[in-house]
Amino acid sequence: MKNVSRIIPCYAADTSGVCSALYELGGMTVVHDASGCNSTYATHDEPRWYDRQSLIFISALTEMDAIMGNDEKLIADVVSAAHDRNPAFIAVCGSPMPMMTGVDFDAAAAEIERRSGIRTFAMHTNGTHSYINGASEALYTIAKEYVRDIPKAAGTGVNILGATPLDFGLGGTAASLRQWLHENGFSAVSCFAMGDSLDSLKKAASAKVSLVISQTGIPAAQYLFEQFGIPYVCGIPTGTEFSKIIADALKEAAQTGTPLYPCAIGNSADRGDITVIGESISACSAAAELHLQTGRKTRVICPLPFEPACMNGALESPASEEEIERELAAYIPEIIAADPLYRMICPPQAKFLELPHYAFSGRCFDKRIPDYVNPNLFRL
Amino acid sequence: MIKIAIYGKGGIGKSTCTANLSAAFASLGKKVIQIGCDPKADSTVNLLNGKPLTPVMDYMRMHDDEPEDISVISRTGYKGVLCMETGGPTPGLGCAGRGIITTFNLLKQLELFEQYQPDVVLYDVLGDVVCGGFAAPIREGYASKVLIVTSGEKMALYAANNIRNAVENFADRSYAKVRGIILNRRNVADEEAKVRAFADSAGLDIVADIPRSDDIIRCEDAGKTVIEGAPDCAAAQRFFALAQKLAAEEPSDE
Repeated sequence: MKNVSRIIPCYAADTSGVCSALYELGGMTVVHDASGCNSTYATHDEPRWYDRQSLIFISALTEMDAIMGNDEKLIADVVSAAHDRNPAFIAVCGSPMPMMTGVDFDAAAAEIERRSGIRTFAMHTNGTHSYINGASEALYTIAKEYVRDIPKAAGTGVNILGATPLDFGLGGTAASLRQWLHENGFSAVSCFAMGDSLDSLKKAASAKVSLVISQTGIPAAQYLFEQFGIPYVCGIPTGTEFSKIIADALKEAAQTGTPLYPCAIGNSADRGDITVIGESISACSAAAELHLQTGRKTRVICPLPFEPACMNGALESPASEEEIERELAAYIPEIIAADPLYRMICPPQAKFLELPHYAFSGRCFDKRIPDYVNPNLFRL
Repeated sequence: MIKIAIYGKGGIGKSTCTANLSAAFASLGKKVIQIGCDPKADSTVNLLNGKPLTPVMDYMRMHDDEPEDISVISRTGYKGVLCMETGGPTPGLGCAGRGIITTFNLLKQLELFEQYQPDVVLYDVLGDVVCGGFAAPIREGYASKVLIVTSGEKMALYAANNIRNAVENFADRSYAKVRGIILNRRNVADEEAKVRAFADSAGLDIVADIPRSDDIIRCEDAGKTVIEGAPDCAAAQRFFALAQKLAAEEPSDE
């Protein structure tokens, strides 16, 4: 019963991660799943659904199609829809039912591409992993499929990697980041993948450095580093103090060509006075700012997959409701910053700072999702 | 890299043929992996002196987390053959086909081929291609060739034809192709003629003709292949010849 949650919800699933990451890029995302499930991926987990169109479809998999392994229906329907809509690309995602029947999405994608003439890729989701896995694979695939070597842009061009509403809602973080980069002498080359087009993303190799603002951007960052030598910096320029560290790190990485993980300072090796719960890079950035402001020891609990270097070398973190509850009760931090739905498993003595997270609480607190670049966000 | 999936009717001698072929390749100096894809998990037992190993599904059942290293789900057998078994769920429960896919995903995650750099990989697959899971070994990146084991018995030939048709269904995909038939003799009347008639109608080669052999039974009772236990017997010589033939067909990786 290790992963059972009695009180808190689970994070958005991998399929939602793919849909979110690809939402603005002009492609067609098809989830091979039962009819009706589109509302999970495209409405409950997608705040842009109400005012911006995107081609997100469900294959309407039936029990008999699943039992009979009728891949042809999926392939023919996707090809037909692609002819009508002419998307820039097609992404085909799995869900629990095709996982159990062992659908070969790589082979189906190759067949769709052959028949439609449109670049098609399989997303290896199955609905049992977190949005981090799905969004990571989607952003990595876009980088791998579309970014080609081009001359560097003038000045210090920056790619923003790992921007999806699942981590930042529509709180303004992506737009504010562009402004912050401009004010600090950088320029935004691309943003994977909010507020930018596929054509802009194709130019990512002209950047001198990447800024990774969530774990979902790590595989794309590593690819751009290995393929084009573009180093990356992990962290969000949040608050008055940590933002200075990020600005310096971007300059240093661009100069030395070495990846840097400044957000790691937010996670001390042992239990802290201040604990932040959430996605690794945003939580570590918040913790780093709180640490710099107060001088207090800060610690991050990340129940999602993370890059150890972003978490100060940590190899694991409490992940289940039971583990998190037990861990917090064991040392009772003075302050806990987390999504409001965590409050119910936090010790009541701790002061609670709300950090709503769309991938965790969806629309419940969407108006209160912060702009992480707001300098006053973590002023205590 | 030579990557072959071996299919055939239940009880026809797939594991016997696969283990002997592995042992023959290993005797030729090849680095071999044999992966048993059958819930019974007995494909590799005769490469391991009759001592079965822990199948991947058993490991997953016993531990909360996936294995971090190949060594805990494999053992080295005769002449260095790396032996693995997918195993399966408790009989009557769950989904055996899904177990094979899960095992393959795990092996990919653990970078088995990159880490071990084999010359030969043999997949010994339960019976027919009955569902997506049992087609997993012939998907792109796994086997590139299929060998079908059959005798001259009617039901064995019926199953062989089903397997050939199943593989042909995937002709549009970059899946494995049927390389040929291993005739594993049961000494039924007109056996060779019956199998040859099927092979001709299906446009397939008979790549090996394994005689009915007491040596095989005796060696398996001792937990060995005939390659190990009776290398000079006729059956062993046929397996050596098949391994040489398949090795000669494969373009060098270098």
